[in-house]
Amino acid sequence: MSACLAVVPAGRAPAPLPVSVTGPTLAQAATPAPSSAPQSGPVSGYMDFHVNQPTGATPGVIDFHRFVLLFYHRFSDRLRFVGELELEHAIVEGLEEGGELALEKAYIDYLLRSEINFRAGMILVPVGIINERHEPPVFHGVERPFVDTVIIPTTWFEAGAGIHGSAGRGFRYRIYAMAPLDATAFTAGEGLRDGAQHGSEAVVRNVAVTGRLEYVAVRGLQLGVSFWRGNTGFNVPTIHTTVGLYEFDARFTRGRLETRAQHARVFIGGAADLNAAITRNTGVNPNVAEQLQGTYLEAAYRILPSRFPHDAALFARYENFDTQFRMPAGYVKLPQFDRDAWVLGATYWLDPDVAIKFDYSHVRNKSTAVPAPRSINVGLGWWF
Amino acid sequence: MKRRLLRVAVVLACVALMAVSLRGHQDQPAPAKVVHVVAERFSFTPSEISIDAETRVELRISSEDTTHGFRLIGPGAINVEIPRRGRGEARVVVQIAEPGDYVFECSKLCGAGHGFMRGKLRVRAKAATP
Repeated sequence: MSACLAVVPAGRAPAPLPVSVTGPTLAQAATPAPSSAPQSGPVSGYMDFHVNQPTGATPGVIDFHRFVLLFYHRFSDRLRFVGELELEHAIVEGLEEGGELALEKAYIDYLLRSEINFRAGMILVPVGIINERHEPPVFHGVERPFVDTVIIPTTWFEAGAGIHGSAGRGFRYRIYAMAPLDATAFTAGEGLRDGAQHGSEAVVRNVAVTGRLEYVAVRGLQLGVSFWRGNTGFNVPTIHTTVGLYEFDARFTRGRLETRAQHARVFIGGAADLNAAITRNTGVNPNVAEQLQGTYLEAAYRILPSRFPHDAALFARYENFDTQFRMPAGYVKLPQFDRDAWVLGATYWLDPDVAIKFDYSHVRNKSTAVPAPRSINVGLGWWF
Repeated sequence: MKRRLLRVAVVLACVALMAVSLRGHQDQPAPAKVVHVVAERFSFTPSEISIDAETRVELRISSEDTTHGFRLIGPGAINVEIPRRGRGEARVVVQIAEPGDYVFECSKLCGAGHGFMRGKLRVRAKAATP
């Protein structure tokens, strides 16, 4: 095999290839030659901090929301390790709410062939756009979409193992078995969010199954469908509760236009029994729904000419999300949880890896008594 | 006088070296095929590339976001950095004799889904000439 490598800067006429590397023929070579280009550094990461100023009398907050370090090690061509350690809200103090230090990812990949590879450890649940793709410069808006917060509980990670690979013709998949959710931590307003065990001495009386199929064959188009399914009632063995989450999403980019859409629905089996059991144990009815649903549509347009060293985009996102979409018989749907939101704003990239974000978020709900939040948000996020 | 002659000789030698160097690049045969590849968190498009054995093919790889890497797994030394969006493109010319499937992957940690960023270079046997 012979190979020539070159990096051609943008805006210049193609020059003769300045670097030429001639390797041994494939048939002759016994061991891989050392790589000449830089490997990924041992540490990468991303950070974001922002100012959220609600309208009205509520004081604004400034928050160093995420400080995330990623670690990568290649034992061999077949065996790799990836880890991600995240500090949220800047500080963690014993027994105080606020900060959170989490091991969001720590897995070993054994790469067998492109069709099938094995993964085990702490893994991101492969559901939705944001959960596996949440570096601040790659999504618009200071905060993640509401649907990716209260319907799909990002960042959703769990201990587990499974397989992933290519299914051919631009399709790729991943299927994992994971520790299940804890149904006793579900809430009316934030759905499954507090139910993840996060691989922390997680109970595995039952095992959940999750998977995703993606289509990435067409330039600019990415389609995905994903699911999560498992029994979730291990903390209340007398009842049988299940969760099924089904989601599909699409991203399409053509020239300066970027669009994305996502729809997710959650089915909680045995929600009435769950509510009754928690009420008996705690005296408080959690009013957990039997179905949750969320959808969002987003469009963005890059406005600066390509010769400009920086980049900027305007975006608009509409979200509709209801954590009490269907209630079990005998339980009342609360209108403040039937919400929609407009998020309008701009992203300015000082560098493709450094983004300044600004947006106005206007949430509405169906309640006449409970106000919905509106806020002006400014953020800075970067990847290195 | 001697100094002037020495300077002239040095300049001529440099010019001769540059000419030989450029000649070397011009002698490389042009690739028979150019394939444009887009790298983006966390996929290559196209993720499956078919080429003929013993044919020179140039891959022009650009990024839609951050810095990625292109590494062809297996014997050889192909591992190149793909510049960030708007910062140019990486070019890789391959000419592979042996038919088969070769996996390529991102070699620069680019985010949570870095491990999924893989593709396949399929080298077809050259049709026998009658």
